[in-house]
Amino acid sequence: MIVRHVIPLLLFTLLLPSSAAAEGRLGWYPESISLSGQDATQGLLVERIDARGHGQDLTHVATYRSLDETVCSVDQNGIVTATGNGTTIIEATVDDSVIQVPIHVANTALPPKRHFQTDVVPILTRYACNSSGCHGKAEGQNGFKLSVFGFDPIADYAALVQEGRGRRVVIAAPDRSLLLTKASGVTAHGGGVRLEPDMHAYQAVRDWIATGAKFDTDYPEVERIELYPRERILDFGSTQQVRLMAHFDDGTHRDVTPLARFHSNNEALATVNDEGFIQVGSAPGHVAIMASFLEKMETLQILIPNPPQPDLATNTHSSQPIEPKNFIDEHIDRRLGQLNLLPSDQCDDATYLRRVHLDIIGTLPTPAEARKFLDDPSENKRALLVDELLERPEYATYWSLKWSDTLRVDRGILGHKAAYAYYRWIRESFENNRPLNEFAADIIAANGAVKNAPQANFYKAVTESGERSAVLSQVFLGLRLECAECHHHPFDRISQTDYHGMRAFFETVSLKPTARGEMMMSEGDAKVKHPRSGNDILARPLYGAPTASEEPRRELATWMTSTSNPWFSKNISNRIWAHFMGRGLVDPVDDFRATNPPSNPELLDGLSQSFAKSGFDAKTLIREIVASNAYQRSTTPNANNERDEQNYSRALFRRLDAEVLLDAICQVTGVPEKFEANPLGIRAIELWDSGSRHYFLKLFGRPLRKTACECERNVDASVAQVLHVLNSSELQNKLSHPNGQLAQWANDHRDNTQLVDELYLAFYGRRPTDQEVNNAVNYLENGADRKTAVEDLGWSLLNSYEFLFNR
Amino acid sequence: MKNSNRFCDGINRRSFLRVGAAGAFGASWSLSQLHQSAAAAAAATDRSLIIIFLQGGLSTIDTFDMKPNAPAEIRGEFDPISTNVPGTQVCHLLPKVSQEMDKFSLLRSMTVGSSDHSKADHHLLTGYRVSAAFKGGNRPNNEHPCMGSVISRKLGPRGSIPAYVTLPDMHKSAGAAYLGPGAAPLTIQADPNDPNFSVRDIVPSLDLDASRLENRAGLLNQVDRYQTAAEVQANRTLRSVDAFRERAFSLMTSPAAKRAFNIHAESDATRDMYGRNTLGQSCLMARRLVEAGVRCVFANHVDWDTHLKNFHSLKVDLLPPLDMAMSALYRDMHERGLLESTIVMVTGEFGRTPRINNEAGRDHWGPAFTVMIGGGGIHGGRIIGSTDEHAAKPADRPLTPEDLAATIHHQLGINGHDEFLTPEGRPIKIVNEGRIISELL
Repeated sequence: MIVRHVIPLLLFTLLLPSSAAAEGRLGWYPESISLSGQDATQGLLVERIDARGHGQDLTHVATYRSLDETVCSVDQNGIVTATGNGTTIIEATVDDSVIQVPIHVANTALPPKRHFQTDVVPILTRYACNSSGCHGKAEGQNGFKLSVFGFDPIADYAALVQEGRGRRVVIAAPDRSLLLTKASGVTAHGGGVRLEPDMHAYQAVRDWIATGAKFDTDYPEVERIELYPRERILDFGSTQQVRLMAHFDDGTHRDVTPLARFHSNNEALATVNDEGFIQVGSAPGHVAIMASFLEKMETLQILIPNPPQPDLATNTHSSQPIEPKNFIDEHIDRRLGQLNLLPSDQCDDATYLRRVHLDIIGTLPTPAEARKFLDDPSENKRALLVDELLERPEYATYWSLKWSDTLRVDRGILGHKAAYAYYRWIRESFENNRPLNEFAADIIAANGAVKNAPQANFYKAVTESGERSAVLSQVFLGLRLECAECHHHPFDRISQTDYHGMRAFFETVSLKPTARGEMMMSEGDAKVKHPRSGNDILARPLYGAPTASEEPRRELATWMTSTSNPWFSKNISNRIWAHFMGRGLVDPVDDFRATNPPSNPELLDGLSQSFAKSGFDAKTLIREIVASNAYQRSTTPNANNERDEQNYSRALFRRLDAEVLLDAICQVTGVPEKFEANPLGIRAIELWDSGSRHYFLKLFGRPLRKTACECERNVDASVAQVLHVLNSSELQNKLSHPNGQLAQWANDHRDNTQLVDELYLAFYGRRPTDQEVNNAVNYLENGADRKTAVEDLGWSLLNSYEFLFNR
Repeated sequence: MKNSNRFCDGINRRSFLRVGAAGAFGASWSLSQLHQSAAAAAAATDRSLIIIFLQGGLSTIDTFDMKPNAPAEIRGEFDPISTNVPGTQVCHLLPKVSQEMDKFSLLRSMTVGSSDHSKADHHLLTGYRVSAAFKGGNRPNNEHPCMGSVISRKLGPRGSIPAYVTLPDMHKSAGAAYLGPGAAPLTIQADPNDPNFSVRDIVPSLDLDASRLENRAGLLNQVDRYQTAAEVQANRTLRSVDAFRERAFSLMTSPAAKRAFNIHAESDATRDMYGRNTLGQSCLMARRLVEAGVRCVFANHVDWDTHLKNFHSLKVDLLPPLDMAMSALYRDMHERGLLESTIVMVTGEFGRTPRINNEAGRDHWGPAFTVMIGGGGIHGGRIIGSTDEHAAKPADRPLTPEDLAATIHHQLGINGHDEFLTPEGRPIKIVNEGRIISELL
């Protein structure tokens, strides 16, 4: 399907508040236009910044007029097209305001000069001919293969001009070229009609063929691209056109908006179409729109504030603004102010108690712990509780579980003994609160006898050099290198050379059995061959110089984990932040790239600097996070922030991890789970082998540890999960177990009020309200059988959202 | 739904509905995904799919593509018999099937990309060959979604009935891959031939009488203070659980689902007709589920990997149950008017070697084998393609799993050119270059 620059004017006039037109002055981009060559085009952008600093794009509202049609014409979307040499003016009118844009046109007598690399390849990309779903697939499509995103113009040229028995490109009769007849649907084409003969792109390809379908080695290369605008504050429901200019190394430039690719990093907030036209939704937040042309990319950052609300100051949903607890709140409060967002109230003690238990140690508080905390009158009891939790053994258990997932503690591959040794090493690191830079460096530079360095088992679980480098980069730097194995990363500046430069560090790894046990050694040179050119690529840190070190992996470890590494501290602090807040500042947490910027860059910088300054001490970072107002907010939305799930204006509901949920169920019912090949009493968060079979854990999304992606741990819901908690005999047996906790409490507390108190403290970590006591006591007293009624009550508590979620 | 007057397990449906009307089970459908699938379902051709998968690889040279004139070391021990379609013959051990030949067609020139079980499984069930990085041992091992998951995602459930069900357990390549858990199958995880067969977690485990279940539901309504709170609408995760809870309750209380899962409600005569074994009862279960509204049922049957004693196994253990189950399924579906709207496909992941090995067995053979497919607008009684004199290679009209996927999706009203986005943002077409097998339509 072909989308044109046809945008109904009516839509725009409706969207713009009429009063806004009175404010601000019209602005435009580019300031002046110089066009070179027949049919050269340039899009204008007309806008106004209103008194609040909010952008109003008027590009498709303005009316345009060329003062000299023999020099250039202009259409109603502001697209200026050269017609003859000379200078003139384009007038754009909005209401009573008129702007004048100087136009200079030259070289229209010269036939257009099209280059394969900069004119044809971008068209193949823009119209998705070379996409991975079509001819860009590894095996091509119907015998015609292009490189995905056009990363290999030499091969693409060969495919078009040399292969296909000369039918794909026919220089003598360009319109008979299969490339054009297929793309325009004249010849049957599985991919449908992509280009029509009256389109610029069609003409450009046709011109290239007609002038000999050459592959020039000397052509103007793209030096940089310029996106306009780069930052905007936009209202709900507003729209924004962008323009993308390419600057070439011969000093020329041209509008490449029609050939660019656009991408929104948060489609819930704003979408962008193929024409670079952005539609803002109706939720507040920060969104980045990426524009790319060939291998260059730029980003427009948009802030979308809540609409102004007259009653903001007297909002009854929220208490008075509270003082920031630390730098975290300063950064968040500033962002909330920009977005007109009012934070929810602070949560109560019981909610905090349960939340920090689940977040720090993956374990529910017991009724006794809950009573002690709730009845403690001390001012600083929340901080004291956190200190206590950070010293509990479950802290190391829970966090080593999380790290064992992405670091591939995989018994199926490693075998029991090695997997356990590897796990123990991770666990001891958390027991001793080792600085996370040392932890990471020990894995990256592992060497020597495996029995002394069990982290070397990582290299047995992940055996290929490319995958090793990709996994370690993803886990420790939050970068997804693997896209660049076969082609330039489509959303980042990572090239194939960058990928293979990182991969080369792991080419020398060798694991050998020796008389002293298995040894991890380095052998050979840290270099690999470029898969296309065949040239040697020496090991080099991402975007850095080739290493000259005798111990390349040691150098890599130092580079990756240093305070000056651009990603390490940010990535780790973002991961920990996301664990506590339910959403990373960079989201997903392992997708750091220029085109997926953090939603609050100052906060990420703050966290990262503080983390580095503490010597990469996870506990210090955790203390800062859980002390912030941001962490301590209630989940209850107010009328103002109910659409915000991005900016930490309220706490989010997070489903418990499979292991944590199962342990919680075992704890409240007092009936432990017996896991295959483990002694009774081992908790699910203590299971170091994610391969041990268990229906509940599988159903609730325990990862198989087959990838480095945090997303492998699945916290999505399913009908089967809901049914299992509602109906399964496993859980029912825990509720009705004669020696279980419910039976015991029913026996200990003959007084129903006390019993209900106990149950609420156990399941929810809070005391019941009077209403809740009444309801429950009523149920217990009107049921025929007290045991049955207690089970029913336990069943209801277990199935409630308050239990199933961390909130 | 048909026959909603019968509700034979003691749970009072009306009582649930009453509580439901009072708001017991939370907000209405709120996932946009559910909305979309409902809309898609209304627009699509309303057809279903049953896959009877003979895992290990049915020997089609001994059954549906016999070579009676081949040398003894290829021909094998069995003889062909005529069918109710003149000119078409099948193995004499399939007498009942031979009388239903007019209800399905034979794709005799099917080729699969590998003679390795898990790779061939994946290719046949997804329409995609595996990559070099394929890990066949993973459970599920899908690099691409199984056809059932595509159907689930594109068409969504019919009411409270799950869209995609696998039984008795889940085949390793029956998963949803990048379509995510929402498109994963509901797995029965029980053998329908088991005298105590019941479906896991669909009904409460203990003997809850109607009033107790109602009490519990009412109590949950009181206890769960977030169920009706603003939090549900404001949290995406909570919204999805809320929608799934509603679906779960609707499944639990749906007479159609309950009836479908209760194979014991079937008459002895019918159960006997399908055969009192796992394959037979799985086929019967498949019919019941489709009848109740399931869009894709994937019944997996193992033991077809006849490397040893191929002829003995087929004759004694495998073909008699297949003859009963397959003939009963086609006939029963036809008689109930379900075959018009349901594609029934019977296939292994590949065929078996033309040459008989030293153990009187046949080994894996991907280059040529036969797929049986009928119903859902697909003609019966036709033969598409043929193999050479030894059933070693297609002699004409070579067909691929991609073509099979293109045909099935087309018949279900799914556009094979539509794309899914993987989590990495990579667009992947539903059908990978397959061409619709027009001779079937």
